[in-house]
Amino acid sequence: MRRAIVALLVAAAVGSLAWAQVSITVAAGNVGQELALTKAAAQRYMDSHPGVTVNVLDTPDFVQDRLGVYLQVFEAKSSDVDVFQIDVIWPGDLAEHFIDLNQYVPKDVVDQHFPAIVKNNTVDGKLIGLPWFTDAGLLYYRTDLLQKYGFSGPPTTWDELQSMAKTIQDGERAAGNPDFWGFVWQGNAYEGLTCDALEWIKSSNGGTIISPDKVITINNQNAIDAVDRAAGWVGTISPPGVTSFGEEDARNMWQAGNAAFMRNWPYAYSLGNATDSAIQGKFDVSPLPAGPGGQPAATLGGWQLAVSKYSKHPDVAADVAMFLASPAEQKIRAIQGSFNPTVMSLYKDPQVLEAAPFFGSLYDVFINAVARPSTATAPNYNEVSTAFFNAVHDVLTGKENATDAMALLELDLQDITGFATGQP
Amino acid sequence: MAQAQRGGSPGARRGRSLLARMEERTALFLLIPSFVILILIAFYPFGSVIWSSFTNARFASGEPTRYVGLDNYRRLLSVTIRELPVQRDASGAVVTKDGVKQYESWVRVLPRQPYRYRAVFEFGLLGKRFVVGAVSSAFVRAIWDTVVFTVIAVLFETILGLVIALTLSSNFPGRGGMRAAMLVPWAVITAVSARIWEWMLQPTRAGLFNTVLSYLGIGDGSINFFGQADLQLPSMIVMDVWKTTPFMALLLLAGLSVIPGELYEAAEVDGASRIRRFFTITLPLLSPTLAVALIFRTLDSLRVFDIFQIVLANQRFSMASYAQYLLIGQRELGMSSAASVVIFVLIFVFAVLYIRTLGVEKE
Repeated sequence: MRRAIVALLVAAAVGSLAWAQVSITVAAGNVGQELALTKAAAQRYMDSHPGVTVNVLDTPDFVQDRLGVYLQVFEAKSSDVDVFQIDVIWPGDLAEHFIDLNQYVPKDVVDQHFPAIVKNNTVDGKLIGLPWFTDAGLLYYRTDLLQKYGFSGPPTTWDELQSMAKTIQDGERAAGNPDFWGFVWQGNAYEGLTCDALEWIKSSNGGTIISPDKVITINNQNAIDAVDRAAGWVGTISPPGVTSFGEEDARNMWQAGNAAFMRNWPYAYSLGNATDSAIQGKFDVSPLPAGPGGQPAATLGGWQLAVSKYSKHPDVAADVAMFLASPAEQKIRAIQGSFNPTVMSLYKDPQVLEAAPFFGSLYDVFINAVARPSTATAPNYNEVSTAFFNAVHDVLTGKENATDAMALLELDLQDITGFATGQP
Repeated sequence: MAQAQRGGSPGARRGRSLLARMEERTALFLLIPSFVILILIAFYPFGSVIWSSFTNARFASGEPTRYVGLDNYRRLLSVTIRELPVQRDASGAVVTKDGVKQYESWVRVLPRQPYRYRAVFEFGLLGKRFVVGAVSSAFVRAIWDTVVFTVIAVLFETILGLVIALTLSSNFPGRGGMRAAMLVPWAVITAVSARIWEWMLQPTRAGLFNTVLSYLGIGDGSINFFGQADLQLPSMIVMDVWKTTPFMALLLLAGLSVIPGELYEAAEVDGASRIRRFFTITLPLLSPTLAVALIFRTLDSLRVFDIFQIVLANQRFSMASYAQYLLIGQRELGMSSAASVVIFVLIFVFAVLYIRTLGVEKE
């Protein structure tokens, strides 16, 4: 009897030791409240799973730098990081380093999330990342100015936006604000321009640069017209400096009350309504306008949780990822940090809607967001995107005309991907 | 050693004592750790960079790696010059626009096999028009940009640094404070100073420069310093000059302080003017310091990475930031290694040239 008790005790000790050894590291972003929220969630996991330690690793803010850190971990096949927070454009490029989450995550859990994001995260039938939060391009507009100049609502076409922006800009400048501009957006040569330009082109029936079935569709008249239209904004309704604007440059101008319209991600909403904002309570968001005969398009952004192939405990890591991406956790993030949930049902949750009302009114925008061609072009998406935003930037800065730029881009994309060319 | 040889011990053969040999052995033994560290942190990484520059290795990828010989270098450095034919319409007449002859686009002229050439720049000569094409036009442009950046920035840094050093070497009240104040830009981390400049050079009146310039009637308050191609390099140069002039001034100040004051007194007695004194005493005696300072700054700015990466990111590259882009952006480990080797060779050539022409060896 005594022996049995000793044996049991030893077994229990060994067992708990084995449990205590499970340590999971999550590489997470640190933009705004991001890191604090993730750390709090990790603590909640540890409270309910005493055998697991979850460490949260802080990674660089600039997306390209974060990719650099991740690539170094993968190059070393290191087991130091188990769960990675990955950008919506990375599943294709990085698929070979992640496990198939379908082995661990039940189908009904996966089906709670937006199908478009799940599709984006699925590479060759493998679920690479569990959706964590999403982003989509939105049109911010000044409700007070629209009213002042007699407009009944936000523009639904790009041409309408152009004329409204011009009217308001002329009026505000005459009223004594020489720094006022009609429309600000992201025109610098970087990933953000790929997002903006994809919206102009897609909403004008110009395709998605490269189609999901691997055809280079960028060299078409609708796309050329869309880029030309945007080039016409530079210096007329948008400041000449917009060609070196990122998200924050646009938001700073907008939040100082110096712009009538802005294209940006949802994060600018809560900041614009903060007490130190010049436009608190004077703006709203709507879907982006569309081109002739097109439907509005918003580029899909957002972040996923993926589990490293080199992890020593992929099963526990997958469980942590599932916990972090669960409806309960996403709800906390939505309320505290206004991060867009990827769980569809949360868009009907009264507490979430109270914290961020536009989640409800723009549900269609989020569900119909257009993915960048990252899955089709993997593992060369970054090169494709760089060629694309540089070509568009050349048109915006007047170095090249849109017709030539798109023809050259088509050649570049052929070189990079080896895909055939065609019409969208 | 000489002592030991002369004293000699009975067991010494070929003129070397046991003690001397033991000392030699101890010396070698003591050097081993340094050698090991050097091999581990210098030779091994550099050797592996050279090795991978001959392969098609991809960064963080399971794809098999293949030896490709000089292929990466060919892709990086292939340059060609072609004449652009005059544009003709259907009837064969030369197309003109506002009285200027129009030429065909380079796309039709530059070779596409085995690699596609892209235009780096066009130029006119003897009434004809030529295009310079390269397979890696971005890298060739990065080399050109980096060299231009280095030459102009170092020139300004040297002149301004000399002026500051001469000022600070004279006696005036508050000299210590001035010297400390001068060092502030150099003490600021580049990542931070690059951000500060980014804010000051914002393309709207929210930026300091646009505000000031628009008050002075220059520009309309929306000069796009980082987006406009012809303002990008000047902006980078201004940022670098601001940051590294103190370093130059500090080195030159040290050089100035060792010039004996009697020389100036003697020259003054002889009636030499201030300008004469500068050119006959200060400059010749300062030249060794100047040479060292020039080498430091030139080699340093040829491998400039931080300000280009932080401010211009993917818009325009320095040699080093392009190598980084190849590694992280395109994940071409082989190409990136080849680019690094090219940068190394270029910097090496500059170093040898400097040492030869400025006679640093003799000092």
